[in-house]
Amino acid sequence: METVIEVKDLVKEYIIVKKESGLRGSIKSLLFPKKTKFNGVNGISFSIAPGEIVGYIGPNGAGKSTTIKMLTGILHPTSGSIKVCGISPQADRKAVVRKLGVVFGQRTQLYWDLRLGESFELLCRIYQIDQQAYDDNLAILTDVLKLQEFINTPVRQLSLGQRMRGDIAAAMLHSPSVLFLDEPTIGLDADAKHAIRNFIKEINRTRGVTVILTTHDLDDVEQLCSRIIVVNNGKLVEDGPIGSIIHKLTPHRLLVVELHEPADDLTTPHATVIKQEGLKIWYQFEKESISASELIAALSQKLPIQDISVKEPNVEDAIREVYKTTATR
Amino acid sequence: MVSTIKHYVSVASCWARLAVQRQLEYPLFLFSWLLMIPIQYFSGIWMLKIIVDRFQALNGWDFPQLTFLYGLGLISHGIFVVFFINTWSIDHMVINGGFDRLLLRPMNVFFQLVASYVNFIGLIDCIPGVIIFLYGADIAGFDWTLANIGKLILVLIGGILIRAALFTSLGTIAFWTKRNGSMVGFALTMLERATMYPLSMYPYFLQALFTFIIPIGFISFYPAAEFLNADSGGLDLPLSFALWTPLVGVICFLIAGGIFKFGMRNYESAGS
Repeated sequence: METVIEVKDLVKEYIIVKKESGLRGSIKSLLFPKKTKFNGVNGISFSIAPGEIVGYIGPNGAGKSTTIKMLTGILHPTSGSIKVCGISPQADRKAVVRKLGVVFGQRTQLYWDLRLGESFELLCRIYQIDQQAYDDNLAILTDVLKLQEFINTPVRQLSLGQRMRGDIAAAMLHSPSVLFLDEPTIGLDADAKHAIRNFIKEINRTRGVTVILTTHDLDDVEQLCSRIIVVNNGKLVEDGPIGSIIHKLTPHRLLVVELHEPADDLTTPHATVIKQEGLKIWYQFEKESISASELIAALSQKLPIQDISVKEPNVEDAIREVYKTTATR
Repeated sequence: MVSTIKHYVSVASCWARLAVQRQLEYPLFLFSWLLMIPIQYFSGIWMLKIIVDRFQALNGWDFPQLTFLYGLGLISHGIFVVFFINTWSIDHMVINGGFDRLLLRPMNVFFQLVASYVNFIGLIDCIPGVIIFLYGADIAGFDWTLANIGKLILVLIGGILIRAALFTSLGTIAFWTKRNGSMVGFALTMLERATMYPLSMYPYFLQALFTFIIPIGFISFYPAAEFLNADSGGLDLPLSFALWTPLVGVICFLIAGGIFKFGMRNYESAGS
């Protein structure tokens, strides 16, 4: 299989000096520091094919950013190997970064005091973009990200949503084949989020750009990613298509039934009652063993049903489930 | 090779233009600088005059020679501040993850660090330097021959490189210690003392230190001693000091570049 990113047994070790409290503790840890090793990233392997949009998710401190920084050549791994477009970012950083676009949602690469367009001109020279290609590319980016309203405004006067669009355009000017987006929608309003998601879909569809997205906004993941990689405590805990991960993690579905009069026997062999409020009953059932319609049919034979609804588990439930079960080391 | 140089020159000139534009955004800041810097340096030379007038020449260096020495040191400081001021903030960049962006671009990191900010306000530092130097050269009887002018240019380049190497090496310590802000202040004081007064008035140990270990004596003291035939404290080297300064400068700069590269491997970025 063709891959753009290939990661094998990636480990990043940090040394932490354990501090004790009080002055005595401070002096003690100064003279005899208790150093403990801690693996921020602990043996992660995966590979990503060209044109995928992958959600790289995990709770705070799970090792997401550390992994991204190793993939982009900012940090050196303690052990393990990384290949981006067939090249190790540690061995030939300059060759790798030419093919990458990177956006850190919390930090900008634009010059605060200058017009947005001036930061672009600098990038044009840094990446040695041919003038014709630059003009064409900028025209497309301007169109899709609607930059024309503020391309001549100093960056410090832009709204967060505008600045983020500017940052994404800056990362795409040199037509990278892989785009890393670290929390690109953090703090944005619904409109700006929508614009950015559309843009990601667009460049993925038209240019086949591979996108690796870290985010805490699971709507991003649900709308964009065909595949998610979940990390926690430096370890990879799930990797696969969203649908199957949800299915695997939350095999239950809920059937909410509302009766028009009280009934005596609510039990059924196919599902369990997990909650009851007046005339409303929540049944939990395994979607493997019985379909919703079969269950409804079975229940409607014995119960006076007025209303009925089926609840699908969503990504958020699934992810919370993962974080919970993998929280302890 | 040629295309690489072209690439770097084109990026550096673009950065220089942007830096000028950025600084012009805050004209009042520029104005306050224009006011403060000359006061600082002219009062420095005034102190020297008082010391020499009231007491005695410093180790055989009279006031005109001291003025020449002081002026030479100031000019190289001024030019250094224009082109290398970012070496003063390596520690900030280590702490707040400022190197992340530089590492993401397909260019040399040290080049980006230095070239990304041309502090043209620093030219103001050069104005009193040039005035004091020209005055010193006049009263000390500096011989303005073509050879001497050529040597002077080499000395200035060497001096700037020595300063850049010093601050780069000190800044690199931050890759391990994370914080070393006071180092910049310390080094500035050390540089001022060693470039503005004749090195020969210090104890032997300090002379050796500032000649062989941290060779800041080559920034202004040794070349000035040669230009003016003044006492160089007994150091005797083949060829002229004016040729040693650029050589020492280039060597120091290359070593500092190596140290910086080594330090970068230890870079840990910042959270989030």
